Amino acid sequence: MLRRLLILGPVILGVCMGGGAAAHPDDLADVQASLEALTDRVERIQDYSDVEKLPRYYSYYVDKAQWRSVADLFTEDGTLEIGGRGIFVGRERAYEYLVVGLGPIGPRDGIIIDHQNLDPLTTLHDDGTAEVRATAFVMGLTGWGHVYYENDYVKEDGIWKIKKLHGPFNMYASYKTGWIDDVIINTYPEKFPPPPDLPPSVIYLTYPSYYAEPFHYPNPVTGKPMPKPDPAAGALDYGKEDAQ
Amino acid sequence: MTAKSEGRKALAMAAAIGLGLTFGGQAAIAQSGDAARVKALKERIAELNEQARHVEDINQIHRLQRAYGYYIDKGFWGEASDLFDDDATLEVGVDGVYKGKAHIHKYLVTQGGGHEGPGLEWGQLNMHMQLQPVITVAKDGKTAKGRWRDFSLLGKYHVSAHWGDAEMENSYIKEDGVWKIKSMHVYTNFIAPYEGGWAKLEPVESKTGWVSETGKAFPADAKPTVTYKPFPNVFVPPFHYKAGRIAAIQAPAPMEMPDRPDDAIGKMEAAADVQELKLDTLYSERAIENLQAIYGFYIDKGMWDEAAALFTKDATYEFGQRGVYKGQKRVRDALTLMGKEGLEEGQLNNYPMLQPIISVAPDNKTAKARWRSDVQLSKDGKGKWGAGVYENEYVNVDGTWKLSKLHYYVTMWANYDTGWYKDALPMEPASTDNPPDAPPTMVYEALPKMVIFPYHYNHPVTGKPWSGE
Repeated sequence: MLRRLLILGPVILGVCMGGGAAAHPDDLADVQASLEALTDRVERIQDYSDVEKLPRYYSYYVDKAQWRSVADLFTEDGTLEIGGRGIFVGRERAYEYLVVGLGPIGPRDGIIIDHQNLDPLTTLHDDGTAEVRATAFVMGLTGWGHVYYENDYVKEDGIWKIKKLHGPFNMYASYKTGWIDDVIINTYPEKFPPPPDLPPSVIYLTYPSYYAEPFHYPNPVTGKPMPKPDPAAGALDYGKEDAQ
Repeated sequence: MTAKSEGRKALAMAAAIGLGLTFGGQAAIAQSGDAARVKALKERIAELNEQARHVEDINQIHRLQRAYGYYIDKGFWGEASDLFDDDATLEVGVDGVYKGKAHIHKYLVTQGGGHEGPGLEWGQLNMHMQLQPVITVAKDGKTAKGRWRDFSLLGKYHVSAHWGDAEMENSYIKEDGVWKIKSMHVYTNFIAPYEGGWAKLEPVESKTGWVSETGKAFPADAKPTVTYKPFPNVFVPPFHYKAGRIAAIQAPAPMEMPDRPDDAIGKMEAAADVQELKLDTLYSERAIENLQAIYGFYIDKGMWDEAAALFTKDATYEFGQRGVYKGQKRVRDALTLMGKEGLEEGQLNNYPMLQPIISVAPDNKTAKARWRSDVQLSKDGKGKWGAGVYENEYVNVDGTWKLSKLHYYVTMWANYDTGWYKDALPMEPASTDNPPDAPPTMVYEALPKMVIFPYHYNHPVTGKPWSGE
């Protein structure tokens, strides 16, 4: 502290004798600019925290069939696509899918539908949107489910909301023998009411067939986009002596 | 330098200048004081940027590790090995150490079935969820360590189905602003057949004898750094943190908002205070995420002393319908309801800490969080599944976050062999030889009864309290 006083000494004398201002206007402008940059940076970190939590809020409500609370996470024009049921366009159609398709609001005795929402990989964009890849590991009804999410989020009036909920089923299996034998196939648009607004965005087969829901993000290290999977991966190379 | 100490320094400076000056008046003092205030403000903004960088580092490491899991889920072996540093190492179970990206890539290909891909064999399942992170970033932001849980679903249609459980102790390095994996050490706990599950696993004979098929097909570059026996033996993979003062649960202490002068610089100082407090709560959110994960990893292995040390002196603990235990000593007593300290051979006590919604109070003094667990138990050869929800509370004790309330609501218990569809198990009542200090705060039954456990938060979009629908 004494050292600071000695440094300032000549400045003080200079001021008293009518010398230059101690706080330069350029300095103040610099500080203002760095303060604004810090504010933006903190807001982005807050955004990341808010977005990462949204799939978790979603699933805690789904667990107990709180369909209104689930639907209210969406923008007015948000879309919902779960399994192979097709696309429901708009918050109220998403609500209809839930309450007509999955049953009345509220938990039902004897029926567990725990959707554990795990492993979120969150990407913020510069334009007030974000994407999250997540996993639902389901302990439900009569067995197990594994679901991927590739969701889009948007910030409206300072609040993050679901713009697109896309949850393709990866594997469903009954409890008795699990995924060795007891698999359950994907849902499809006409499986149960209500009908969707649009057909499924992608037609694919669930486990035991192979489908890789595309990653919304480039490789975090190389920056490269996801390559196309090799349809012959694992297939026997007939006639090749070094086949594995 | 926090706002608190910076404020004090500025006052002391002003006093010293006042004493030394004999002429020139207040204007001169104010202008000289301005230079010091601006300098201090610049330094504080630089420090806050460092703090922001720390939180961003944790977030990027989360993304990196989760990207690894998502790549190996679907046989993207090259993309997964690209996440490693060129001279990184991989160690799995007691297979040994694989050195360098090329060997790591070959290990992943071999483990995945031997095909370059990207892709898997038809009927192959290789889900590896990367869960429950404890991330400790070094002060210089160049390296970091992470403890994770790898929970996997493995199999081949009509051939096999397995559950996998492992803890990982990984290290990370930041090169040119990009985080990479420097080392991954997967301490396989078990790979158990779906039929019978973990409770039916036989002990292995030797610490070095249970090399995996992958390790046999592609021998490692070096012997394993740690040899151990997997479950049913209870092995505690070494921690990158020591019980005591754990860096991962430190955060800025609660700050008092200073009064700032009503001038141009004062307005900027006040704005910096607002950002500092916001950033403190974001930093604390990650510290609490680490704290609950640390608690979980201790519980998994019956480390009751270390787990109890994470609570405040007057914390409370409530589990299912066992009643409430009040005070840190009583929390320690309550933990023994799960079993002996250190567990026993064949006992599995996995309580994964998952799906956190952490709400730090705006003043950075307290927090609440909702978590859930898919519990895997085993005792006396009998396996169990459990499911439940935590609604916990935390306190920032002068820069260290601690648990002040743990409340585990039980959704379900079930025997492994018969599942929960018809034969769900009831919760245990209060213990008679280790009774609680108070009855349960909420009386309810588990599956087949289904109950909504109270949410500590309002709806994140509407802002309204829970509506009941």
